[in-house]
Amino acid sequence: MQSTNRTPLLSARSVSKSYRLGEAIVPAIRDVTLEIGPEEFIAIQGPSGSGKTTLLNLLGLLDMPDAGEVRVEGQDSARLSENAKSDLRRDRFGFVFQTFNLIPVLSAEENVAYPVGLAGKGPAEWRARALELLSAVGLAEKAGVRPDLLSGGQRQRVAIARALANRPAVVFADEPTANLDSKTADEILDLMRKMGEEREVSFVFATHDPRVVARARRVVSLQDGRIESDTRVMTPTPSR
Amino acid sequence: MSSWSLAWRNLVRQKRRTLLMGSVVAFGFAAFALAGGFIAQSFEGLKEGTIRSIGHLQIVDRRAVTRSEESTLEFGLPNAGRARSIAAGDPAVAAVLPRIEFVGLATNGAKSVPYLGLGVDPQPEATATLARELVVGGRYLSSADGEEVVLGTGLASALGVKTGDRITLMATTRDGSLNAVDGVVSGLVDVRIKELNDRYLAAGIGLVSRLLETSETVSKLVVFLRKGSDENRVAKRLEQSLTAAGFPIAIRHWEELAVFYSQVKLLYIGIFGFVGAVLVVIVILSAAIVMTMAVTERTREIGTLRAIGTRPAGILKMFLAEGAVLALAGCLAGALVALVVRAILNASGIILPPPPGATHGMPINVKFYPLAYVAGISAMVGTMLVASWFPARRASRISIVEALTHV
Repeated sequence: MQSTNRTPLLSARSVSKSYRLGEAIVPAIRDVTLEIGPEEFIAIQGPSGSGKTTLLNLLGLLDMPDAGEVRVEGQDSARLSENAKSDLRRDRFGFVFQTFNLIPVLSAEENVAYPVGLAGKGPAEWRARALELLSAVGLAEKAGVRPDLLSGGQRQRVAIARALANRPAVVFADEPTANLDSKTADEILDLMRKMGEEREVSFVFATHDPRVVARARRVVSLQDGRIESDTRVMTPTPSR
Repeated sequence: MSSWSLAWRNLVRQKRRTLLMGSVVAFGFAAFALAGGFIAQSFEGLKEGTIRSIGHLQIVDRRAVTRSEESTLEFGLPNAGRARSIAAGDPAVAAVLPRIEFVGLATNGAKSVPYLGLGVDPQPEATATLARELVVGGRYLSSADGEEVVLGTGLASALGVKTGDRITLMATTRDGSLNAVDGVVSGLVDVRIKELNDRYLAAGIGLVSRLLETSETVSKLVVFLRKGSDENRVAKRLEQSLTAAGFPIAIRHWEELAVFYSQVKLLYIGIFGFVGAVLVVIVILSAAIVMTMAVTERTREIGTLRAIGTRPAGILKMFLAEGAVLALAGCLAGALVALVVRAILNASGIILPPPPGATHGMPINVKFYPLAYVAGISAMVGTMLVASWFPARRASRISIVEALTHV
């Protein structure tokens, strides 16, 4: 593992997580230690079952480790209440999912605005923020359209805009290109890198898509729940 | 985006299910509103009928409250004329009716039948009570001192007499001797309670006083109040003024005397309470199933909402809001249904079976009773919130990771 010189936004120390599968206990993550700093573009890669998504869930406070600790900007997540973790996810994290996970009854604009509203901002502010982000991802003209009328690529753009709604420090993306065709996947990845650079946001991907790995500035490889390698890439594939 | 707006959109999204559940709520609400209106109308009619029969208040000798008379007018009110004047002087009093209650035998010369007698002052009695409306043959009494008597239809039938026939009334006087007077049947009445029809006899207070060999003594004074008067205040005033005038009296309220009214009221409350409870259970079970299905179908969505920062309470609120919105929409539809059904029922002229002990049915009449609508809304919203609570709580506690991978 390589450590970063910058102050870590997130740190996982000796983190382990197992799941029960019938009678069997299946270890998903074993004694993982990892730090994530600001403005990183990290790909966590590995074969299926290597623990990529589990690690992402632990870092994103969607799940809690059985052992070890996850710290967010120095705070031990184990000491946080459920509400405090919700608030941290709302204010400091963004999430992009493989299946987009937009709220079907909300328009594109409302989906992006939802986290802003959750943070207590008024309608004028969340509308302005949503439109600004939709413009940034090239979907301003689709603001009033419901997700079921958008293409896969458009939905993922809306999901990216939603993830950035509350100006997070880190966006977690779990296989964000898995449901997209090759061209759209490239566009989405370039958009994410561009947004990350422009908005000084770290992106952490769980992926086995080589296109993601090719664009990453840091690649963490997992094997059987352990970090096999943690490599910084000096010249990743440039944005288009 | 408020929980209410999100709730409404999710309900619209599941049109068929919302329509089905909304119909259950609308039916439940309409049942509440209609039953409430019917009960209110029944109670009001029964109350009015009871008061027009026994008055708002009754002035009696104190001993009559706790003890039963062993001889005729043992606990009568002496100097009834003076007491009546004092009571009638109260500004809230509309009428004071003297009544003598007694028992005896009526005979046509060949056959004797026991009766429950009532001595009355016919003029005010006819004005203040339903006495004249109960006449089904002949006419009501015209003077306090005449020989006229009115008989219940059952008693007349038992005696084999009709209007214009003469009968002899026998009764025990105050000192225990037997006395008799002649009377002429002026009218037949149907007092709407079969057992009473078989025994009912009313006569002018003068004729009854002669029969009982008494003067100026009555069993009670029946007091009718002007509309809007406060019964308790008037009762207090009358008690004070009559006690100050030397009358050892007690005032009895109509509710403590109207045993039939109280029994019917309890019966209705029991029946409709049970039906209401069954309705609530049906709505709770239906709503719980619907909300559980909604939570199951939207598990992944719940996971997403939790992941992007919605607190558990936010999820709980979202599903409770759905229950409340569904309840309110259902109540609105139910109110429209209730109003239409009410109009149809009231125009139908359907005659309901007579209540317990009565001889006549009443045309169905469902009142618009705002309290029933308020109670219906409260019951339906409360029921839906209870039914939504457990699925909503389960939704708020779902593991985010499990929810996100839910298929």
